[in-house]
Amino acid sequence: MNISRAGLLVLVAFSIPVAVELRVLFGFFGVDLPLAAVVVFEAVFLLAIAVVYNLGAEPKSATKH
Amino acid sequence: MATFVDRYPEEASVVKASLVVSFVALGIGALFGLVQALHRTGYFRVIDSVDYYTVLTGHGVLLALVFTIFFLVGLFTWAVVQSLERPLPDIRLTWAWFGLTTTGAVFVAVAILAGFVPSIDMSADVLYTFYAPLQAHPLFYVGLAMFIVGTWLAGADWFLAYRDWRGDNPDERIPLQTFMVLTTMLMWYLSTIGVAVSTVFFLIPWSFGIVETVNPLLTRTLFWFFGHPVVYFWLMPAYLMWYTVMPKLAGGRLFSDPLARVVFVLFLLLSTPVGIHHQYLDPGIAEGFKFIAMTNTMFLLLPSLLTAFTVVASVEHGARQRGGEGYIKWLGALPWRDPAFTGMALAGALFAAGGFSGMINAGMNINYLIHNTLWVPGHFHLTVGTAVALTMMAGSYWLVPQLTGKRLYSRPIGLLQVVLWFVGMVFMSNAMHRAGLVGIPRRTAEPQYQSFDFSAVIGTVGELRAQIALGGFLLFVSVVLFLFNLLLSAFEEPIENPVDDSLPAPLSGASGSPVVLDNLRLWTAIAIVLVILAYTLPLASIVGDAGLFGNVPGVPVWVSANAEVTIEALTEVIA
Repeated sequence: MNISRAGLLVLVAFSIPVAVELRVLFGFFGVDLPLAAVVVFEAVFLLAIAVVYNLGAEPKSATKH
Repeated sequence: MATFVDRYPEEASVVKASLVVSFVALGIGALFGLVQALHRTGYFRVIDSVDYYTVLTGHGVLLALVFTIFFLVGLFTWAVVQSLERPLPDIRLTWAWFGLTTTGAVFVAVAILAGFVPSIDMSADVLYTFYAPLQAHPLFYVGLAMFIVGTWLAGADWFLAYRDWRGDNPDERIPLQTFMVLTTMLMWYLSTIGVAVSTVFFLIPWSFGIVETVNPLLTRTLFWFFGHPVVYFWLMPAYLMWYTVMPKLAGGRLFSDPLARVVFVLFLLLSTPVGIHHQYLDPGIAEGFKFIAMTNTMFLLLPSLLTAFTVVASVEHGARQRGGEGYIKWLGALPWRDPAFTGMALAGALFAAGGFSGMINAGMNINYLIHNTLWVPGHFHLTVGTAVALTMMAGSYWLVPQLTGKRLYSRPIGLLQVVLWFVGMVFMSNAMHRAGLVGIPRRTAEPQYQSFDFSAVIGTVGELRAQIALGGFLLFVSVVLFLFNLLLSAFEEPIENPVDDSLPAPLSGASGSPVVLDNLRLWTAIAIVLVILAYTLPLASIVGDAGLFGNVPGVPVWVSANAEVTIEALTEVIA
């Protein structure tokens, strides 16, 4: 899957509301999620989309033509 | 092909001037917002706590009234001229309403900012909700009256342009953008009767000392008569851009012109007879009237839901024109690199969240849970603070090049700016909503109490404070980036086509919609009847209880200069 640089930025932005509401979501099921878990979730998510972005990026030489 | 400034240079000058005033107000208001966010969270207190209310009033008035409405008059002037394809009938009238509105806004700003200087016997710390018994300096009310009359004249200017066009095109449907402008202005004329009566007949004579007392509930009710529809006055420019500009930016066309017309007619009908839903906890208004206001408010969800459907359908159409496929994957085909599109899309996404929290506000029973808590600013920072403000900033990236003939200084900075606003607002408004649910009050410089701690259901109150401070900081940085991007754009070289300003025809055009939708007289008459039904009995009851001029002397807010007078007046009010 190819993600553009702008698409990457928007994806990162959309991960913020998910992260800040993650504890509320878990709270509905009686799970008291610590703040550190949210930080880890966000870090893992950012890492995952960075990997996807890099895998989908075209080689530099291809962009010159 | 020449752009707007080449075709209509005089009108472009008025639009530019309006946007300059709008953006100056945005800059000052944003700085005040940062000061507030850092002060009430306790991270950095640069002002005296008494001055917090000057900052709060400045933030509310400069952003909610000056920034939004000056952008609106600029955008509507552009929309009328370019959709009717003719200049305004008399540019002197156009400059006259601009001058009157600007002078009014300056008077209001001077009255508020003078509150920072104790040696000047002037203050207007009455907050954005400027009803009695808090009493501002007369200059504040006089400025407000001039500002409102200026917007009325602006509307008259656009109606005159429409009348001229109609003379030449008797059988044509009203062009969509002009239809949106006219229905919005009809709603505005109707709703501003409340604030005009309140300001001219009660607040100005009272602030000058011509009348000694005031009926606070009457001025509150007249304020909210205007105070809720003003929300739609802010929102309609955003809707205008979502309906007519955003589909084009997405690469497609508006899904349905008739649905857009229905939505604007519904806002004309339903915007005004709902203001009492801001007064659920006011004594002196019978529960039945509050219930009617709640019912009317719930009907207002309909045009917003229609808008969500139409705009998303139009954007999806655009994505598919760009090669997007699948149920979800088409989102990836949208022009996310374009700050104008991305900003509007993010604004729309947060507006959905604001709509849901608005339903809580509108519900009579659950409103009691969050009334006067930080939930309420959390809500309106999603609606006016994002759906409106972010759409206006994003739209500027497409609109301003048409007015100057110069390209935008930096699209990547623009993109970063709109994303930063989204992230900052998510942090801030999320924490405000959650803080409101645990009872933390709004409009308070230092929400700490002795022997009492607020207790968050999930996480801690400290985390909520940190989120608010961080969000406020990111929002301020976003405004700085926006203003510098536009400022630096002014130094670019003029080019022939700085932006593609053509607007494609809708997929389903005006010819497919019932002609009755364009009958503005009919919709205005129905809107007036609905307002009479909703307000006659409550207002009669309020006047019957305490008289037109009431028996409350008021509380002047010259806190520093007139401490003794204030304390005396407060004692009298409480007694």
